[in-house]
Amino acid sequence: MSASYTSTVEKRSFIDHMAGWINWSRFLFAIGLFFFLTSILFPFYWMVSSSFKTTAEIGAREPVYIPSALNMEAYKELFDPNHPSYQDFGGNIINSMFVAIPTALIAVILATLGAYAIARLRFRGKNIMLNSILMIYLFPGVLLIIPLFAMIAQIGDRLGFQVQDNLPVLIFTYLAQTLPVALYMLTNYFRTIPSEIEQAGLIDGCSRFEVIWRITLPLAIPALVSVGIYTFMIAWNEFLYALVFLNDHNLFTMPIKINTIYNDPSPRPHVVMAASTIMTIPIVILFLSLERFLEEGLTAGGVKG
Amino acid sequence: MTSTTETSKPSFIQRWRSLHSREARLAWYLILPTALIVFGVVIFPAIFSVWISFREVGLSNLNDVFNAPFVGLENFQKVFNDFAFKFQGMQSWGAAVTSIIYSFLATTLTVLIGLIAALLLNRPFRARGITRAIFLFPYVAPIVSVAFVWKWILDPRPSGVVNDVLISLGIIDLPIAPLATRGLALVIVIIFEAWRYFPFAMLMILARLQAIDRTMYEAAEVDGANTWQKFRNITLPELRYVLGAIFLLRLMWTFNKFDDIFLLTGGGFGTKVLPVLTYEFSFKLFDFGRGAATAMILLLILVIFMALYIGIVMRNVEEE
Repeated sequence: MSASYTSTVEKRSFIDHMAGWINWSRFLFAIGLFFFLTSILFPFYWMVSSSFKTTAEIGAREPVYIPSALNMEAYKELFDPNHPSYQDFGGNIINSMFVAIPTALIAVILATLGAYAIARLRFRGKNIMLNSILMIYLFPGVLLIIPLFAMIAQIGDRLGFQVQDNLPVLIFTYLAQTLPVALYMLTNYFRTIPSEIEQAGLIDGCSRFEVIWRITLPLAIPALVSVGIYTFMIAWNEFLYALVFLNDHNLFTMPIKINTIYNDPSPRPHVVMAASTIMTIPIVILFLSLERFLEEGLTAGGVKG
Repeated sequence: MTSTTETSKPSFIQRWRSLHSREARLAWYLILPTALIVFGVVIFPAIFSVWISFREVGLSNLNDVFNAPFVGLENFQKVFNDFAFKFQGMQSWGAAVTSIIYSFLATTLTVLIGLIAALLLNRPFRARGITRAIFLFPYVAPIVSVAFVWKWILDPRPSGVVNDVLISLGIIDLPIAPLATRGLALVIVIIFEAWRYFPFAMLMILARLQAIDRTMYEAAEVDGANTWQKFRNITLPELRYVLGAIFLLRLMWTFNKFDDIFLLTGGGFGTKVLPVLTYEFSFKLFDFGRGAATAMILLLILVIFMALYIGIVMRNVEEE
C-alpha cells in the first residue's frame, strides 16, 4: 500500500516537474541548441563517414547515410603503394610536418624574446613597433604574395636557390604570418606575470638572461605551449602560399594535395574525405586536449582569418 | 671595462641611466630577429607591392624585377576596365561590388549567429563545457577540409545530401548545383562564412556577457522587466562596443579572405572577390603588375575600414 502511494506521489511530482520545466524559453533554447549542434556536427560526421564508403556507395543513386562497413578503400588509395592510383599521402603528411613544426618552434623562440622585451623592458619606439606589428594582422595575405614572390626570386637568383618547391622558403613566409600573433599573445601573457618575482631574482644576483631562463620561462610554459600549437595550426592549414610556392607533387603539403585530388578529372569524394579526415583529426585532438588554454588565445585572435 | 665602471663609482643617476640604456640595448637585441623578419617579409614587400603596381612585371622579367618598365597608371586602368572588376548592372556585379556586399553580409550574419550562440551558451546547463568545445569545431578545423565537405554535401550528383533532402521534401524536382548557380552561390558562400567564423564572435561576446553585472538584471526583475526587455535594455547596450569591434575586425578579415571562396567556387558564378581576382591576374595570367594594382585597390578599401575601426571602436574602448 504504502509503496503504491509513494509511486503516485513520484509520478505526480514528475509531471509537475515536466510542466514546470517546459516553458517557452527552455523550448526555444533546446531547439536552438539542437539546430546548432546538428549543423556543426553533420559536416564532420559526413566527412568521416564518407571516407569509409566504397566507390559504389559514393556514386549511388542517392546518398548513403551510414556506410555498410568500415571500408578502407579510400585510405588504401592514399597509403597503399599497390593501389592503381596510389597518392603517397604519407609523403604529404611528412611535408606538412616538415613545414609546420619548424614554423611553430622558430616562431615561439623568436616571439618569446621579442614579447619579453616589449612586456618588461623600457625602450624607445616600443609602442610604434608593437602597433605596427599588430597592423600586419589586418594585412591581406594575397597582397604580400606578389612582392614576396618577386623578392625571393631575386634573392634566390643571387644566392643560387630555387624559390618554388623549396620548403624552407615556405617556412620563412609562414613566420611572417605567425610571428605577429605569437608576439601579441606572449606579450599579453608576460604582462600577467608579476615583475616583482623577476626583481627578486635580479636582486639575488641573477643576470637578465638567468632571470628569463630560470624564472619567467618556466612560469610561461602554458602560454608557450598554446602559442606553439596556434602557430602549428596556422602552418598546417595554410593554403594560398603553399599553392603558389609549390609545383612539385612530391613536395605538396596536405591542403594542396587534397585540392589536387579534388580537382582530379575522375571525382573520388571518398578519397578527398579520407584525406580531409586525416588532416582534421590531429587538429581537433590537439584543440580538445588543450581547450582551456587555447580558448583564451582564440579570443586574443590566435587564429587569424 | 666592467672593472673601470665599477671602480669609478658613478652617481646614482648615472648608474640608473646606464642600467636604463643597457636595458634598452638588450630589448633591441631581443626584438631584432622578429623585427627583421616582420620587416623583410611583410613591411618591405608591402611597400614593394606599391612599386610593382606601377610597373609592367610578367613572368619574363620577374628575375629582373627592379628594372621593370614604368607604366604609370596603366595597370590600374586595365583593372578598372576589366569585366571581372567593374560593375555592369545587376547581372554582373564585378569583383569590387561583390567583395563589399559579400563581406558586409557575411560579417553581419557571422556576428548575429555568434550572438545567438553566445546567448545559448551563457545559461548554465549540463554538458555546457563539451557543447562549447563542439561549437568551436568549425573555426579550428582546416579550411580545406571543411570547404570540401561543404562542396560534397552540396554536390549536384544524386548522392549529394542537400539535393536528396530537398527532393524528398518536394522543394525541387531535379538536382541543382548550388555552388554553380549565379546568386545562389554567393548566398551559400555567405552562409559558409557565418558557419565557419561565428565561433570567434561567440567567444568574444561570451567573455563580455559573463562580465555584465548580475545586479542589473536583478534590479530589472524587481521592476518587472521580461526577458526581451532585459535583453534589449541591459544586454545589448553592454555588448555594443564588443559587437562593433568584432564586426569591423571580421569585416576586414572577410574582405581579405582568399581561401574560402577559391576553394568553394573558384571565384565563379558571381562570387569573384578582389583577393581571388588578384590571384588570377598574378598567377593565372602572370601579369604581376595588374595583380598588384588590384591588391592596391583592395588595400585602399581596407584602409577606409581600418580608419573606421581605429576612429570609432578603439576610441570607444578607451573611453569605456
